Amino acid sequence: MPTLTIDGKEITVEKGTTIIQAAEKLGIEIPRYCYHPGLSIAGNCRMCLVEIEKSPKLQISCYTQAADGMVVHTTSEKVKAVRRAILEFLLINHPVDCPVCDQAGECWLQIYYMEHGLYNSRFMENKVRKHFKATPIGPWVNLDSERCILCSRCVRFTSEITKTYELALVNRGDHSEITIFPGKELNNKYSGNVVDICPVGALTDRDFRFQCRVWYLDKQESICPGCSRGCNIEIHYNVQRAHHAGGRRVLRLKPRFNPEVNKWWICDEGRYGYKFIDDKSRIQMPYLQEGEVLVETDWKVVLDKVASTLRSILTTYGTESIGVIASPQLTNEDLYLIRKLFVEDLRLPHVDFKVPVKEKGYEDDFLIKADKNPNTRGAEELGLGAKEGSLNVENMLEAAIAGRLKALYVFGHDLTNFFGEEKIKDIASRLELLVFQGSNLNPTGQYAHVILPSATYAEKDGTFTNFEGRVQRIYKAVEPLGESLPDWEIIVKLARFMGFSYPYQSAREIFKEIATVIPAFNGLSYKVIGNQGAKLATA
Amino acid sequence: MDLAIEVIKVVVVLFGVLNLAGLLTWVERKQSAVMQDRIGANRASILGIRAFGLFHPLADAAKLILKEDFIPEGGNKVLHTLAPFASLFFALLAFAAIPFGNILILDGKEINLQIANLNVGILYIFAMMSMGVYGVVLAGWSSNNKYSLLGGLRASSQMISYEITMGVSIMGIIMVYNSLDLQEIVRRQGELLWGFIPKWGVITQPLACLLFMTAIIAETKRIPFDLPEGESEIIGYFTEYSGMKFGMFFMTDFVETVLAAALMTTLFFGGWQIPYVHGNSLTIVILQVLAFTLKVIFFCWFFMLIRWTLPRFRYDQLMRLGWKMMLPLSLANIFVTGLVILLWN
Amino acid sequence: MRKEELTFWEQIYIPQIYEGLKVTARHFFKNMKGHIARLLGKPVKDDETVTIQYPEERRPLSPRLRSLHRLVKRADGTPRCVACMMCETICPARCIYIVAAEHPNPDIEKRPARFDIDLGKCVFCGYCVEACPEDAIRMDTGILEFAAYTRQDMIYTMERLLANEPMKITSQGQRL
Ligand code: SF4
Ligand code: SF4
Ligand code: SF4
Ligand code: SF4
Repeated sequence: MPTLTIDGKEITVEKGTTIIQAAEKLGIEIPRYCYHPGLSIAGNCRMCLVEIEKSPKLQISCYTQAADGMVVHTTSEKVKAVRRAILEFLLINHPVDCPVCDQAGECWLQIYYMEHGLYNSRFMENKVRKHFKATPIGPWVNLDSERCILCSRCVRFTSEITKTYELALVNRGDHSEITIFPGKELNNKYSGNVVDICPVGALTDRDFRFQCRVWYLDKQESICPGCSRGCNIEIHYNVQRAHHAGGRRVLRLKPRFNPEVNKWWICDEGRYGYKFIDDKSRIQMPYLQEGEVLVETDWKVVLDKVASTLRSILTTYGTESIGVIASPQLTNEDLYLIRKLFVEDLRLPHVDFKVPVKEKGYEDDFLIKADKNPNTRGAEELGLGAKEGSLNVENMLEAAIAGRLKALYVFGHDLTNFFGEEKIKDIASRLELLVFQGSNLNPTGQYAHVILPSATYAEKDGTFTNFEGRVQRIYKAVEPLGESLPDWEIIVKLARFMGFSYPYQSAREIFKEIATVIPAFNGLSYKVIGNQGAKLATA
Repeated sequence: MDLAIEVIKVVVVLFGVLNLAGLLTWVERKQSAVMQDRIGANRASILGIRAFGLFHPLADAAKLILKEDFIPEGGNKVLHTLAPFASLFFALLAFAAIPFGNILILDGKEINLQIANLNVGILYIFAMMSMGVYGVVLAGWSSNNKYSLLGGLRASSQMISYEITMGVSIMGIIMVYNSLDLQEIVRRQGELLWGFIPKWGVITQPLACLLFMTAIIAETKRIPFDLPEGESEIIGYFTEYSGMKFGMFFMTDFVETVLAAALMTTLFFGGWQIPYVHGNSLTIVILQVLAFTLKVIFFCWFFMLIRWTLPRFRYDQLMRLGWKMMLPLSLANIFVTGLVILLWN
Repeated sequence: MRKEELTFWEQIYIPQIYEGLKVTARHFFKNMKGHIARLLGKPVKDDETVTIQYPEERRPLSPRLRSLHRLVKRADGTPRCVACMMCETICPARCIYIVAAEHPNPDIEKRPARFDIDLGKCVFCGYCVEACPEDAIRMDTGILEFAAYTRQDMIYTMERLLANEPMKITSQGQRL
């Protein structure tokens, strides 16, 4: 356990800790380009040089391990001068085309230049031109090798994390540049991450390219709903300047560090899976089927229609005649209220959430899980799966064809995917009431008698429970589109129309109740969950 | 024959007054412009001829006639319509007693160059000017608008206050010339004092002249006494007027200015008299009418000069000036005049 | 507020009015003389009239004047602007609306697909010109009269901005 002094502050660290890590613990940030905590140490950018007493030369702090009695200076004149010199070096062949560079605003060349550079360029000669300018090298990534500072983060990522080895550094001296193997594409399940780790604008996101300037973006913490891993993400959205990106609000997702779940990474599937939030298929108004067509109406009308029809079916045919298909895409809070209304208060036996899928989803041993729902575990813990003696989704549909089921309440699922469009159409015509509550219109919704527009995960507060029982918080980033409402709010309203009064004003209040009512959630609260999540009591 | 002469006189006076008033709207703009180192309105043109902006009054008239005649909701339609007519009518009526020339003798026939030869002419004029208050008050009241009403009230209290000074200050003139007949007063101003100074009102009654001028400017409600209208800031009695009805108030303003100029001329500046020139021959009478016209025009100009020089009074200053300074001064003037007349004789 | 104490002389007011009338009357006669002389085609002396007959006569515009915006063109007529959005960002009136698009030439990379300035909102601060790293937007057209009948017409699209030309300046700084 060496004890060392950095900038006059003393700290004792584990053996093997590097100076850059020790400094981080003290809240001292040493500038760096090539060092990334998730990758091996390259030590080639020289930006993290620090002065160590009794050492003749400056040392790179990303590689030098802390030793007992070490005295480190990170801001001495010598260090500052060297940083300035290194920046000057890095920028010698750099095009500095910030006006057209998507990285501008979050570029570590810009940031460090303002912090440590501020010199006047002395370079008169012509800059060395490299091979790639605005060149797509894969479905998601654009390369500009002139802007590259040769930190090799991306190379290490493809060799150490994805082990796909697409990228390499070639040539020598000022002709060295980053390149992709001829005939190859940077096309792996995690390729988008190289954009995040590239400290400059050499690798940029094709999906985000020129959509919006990064300084127009606001950020909100959230959880990726793409699979049951529940990777921690940040939602970057623009609501101030609506003319950008054709009015889309959510413009990109970025991974958020969580050592227990996804470290620094997310998969491309999740990264680019945000588009449904501002998609044309979003349902912005409640709809009611009149004759053959769906017509726009308002909440009062549809809720009244749903409540009164359910009531009359209940009195005529009993609880056996209504099926509810909840969704593992919903938050624990939404699901809890579905359980409260349909299972506890209306005492419906046929409630399920598992809709069969045609083929098993892709899975690997890194992040991606086969279950493409963020909250399957939560739905299970809340007891929404089919039980002994109750119908599961498949049987519910059979019962509907047989005429035993009179009403079906579907949350977000597209049943046609597995059961086929004909079957769903048939069922819709036999049912007295088919309710579809979801954020985006799908073929199932098209056959519904009533459509209730709900908010997406970016538009509401709540929690997801990932496959290993980690409860993680999502936060509202943007307002629900149009007239849509978070699912729990819709249930609260519907319950009022059915004669129950639920007192919830926010997702937080619902979660408080979940934590006391559901044993698995005991001891949890939004505070305990924080922004890194917390495990279920049973997990 | 007599009737024809009367009609001609009426037509001539009305023609003169109305044209002069119309012209004054142009003079107002141009004179202010020249005083303020500007050029002034000069854009209205007919067939490309601009004529120094002389067509502006025409354009204004066309505009006012074509504009919507607006009567506010809840306003009294009859009175609202009547008010501008009353204003203009009484102002014009006052000219009947103003002598614009000597008695002309044509073919042995005496033609008095004055529409109505009233032996109490001066009282008649005051009566007509007092009637003008009705137009103002009615306009304010019938508009169903608080600001108009307040403007009307301001106007009437101002006019009544200054009418007293005006009346009292004129007493000196009446005492000196010993007549209420304006033609007679003018004729007596043709006499000479000590044989060489024309016995004009301004010589015999200088203080009264000053007081009267101040009071009559207040009477015409022009700057610096324009509180009733307060053009853009304090909102006055004709706020709710538009089109030609507004035009009539506007016109009244200028007719009153001409009236004020005519009264100043008649009472204090020898009316149609040309010093040292006497006689009833046609040439001399024409010259005298010309002299009268010139004097009136001069005073119109002079009033404009004042209007574009002085800032507006505050209302309390206005009242203090009227009641606490001008009224006592004019009363004192009567006593002094009386004393002087007593001692003289 | 400080209140001026008036002397007795000032309080009688009449002499003061007389002084005021003297000033205004002097201007009146002086200018009148000038007007008459001009009318008669005689040389005009010490005329103080300052009016400029606006649409026909104009004051010389300073070359530094901030007037209607224009977008600078490249040799091929396309905008020099690269849609960096510096101007949009700095604009305090938030009246610049840019949508970026790909430029076929990778050395230019980015171009504006839409570049609208809502001049109904613009405050003519000139920050957009200051901020532009490409010298692509300028306010040197010398065009000051661009009132319009509709709000829509006040929005200058990229085409309209590209069509604007810089003002020509003589050696005297006169606008042509
Ligand atoms: S990488 Fe950074 S410094 Fe280089 S052009 Fe892009 S924003 Fe500018
Ligand atoms: S492309 Fe980016 S991450 Fe890769 S070596 Fe260059 S600067 Fe580093
Ligand atoms: S002049 Fe100022 S307000 Fe107008 S567009 Fe430019 S930055 Fe915006
Ligand atoms: S600052 Fe210049 S280059 Fe950038 S968007 Fe504006 S006009 Fe175009």
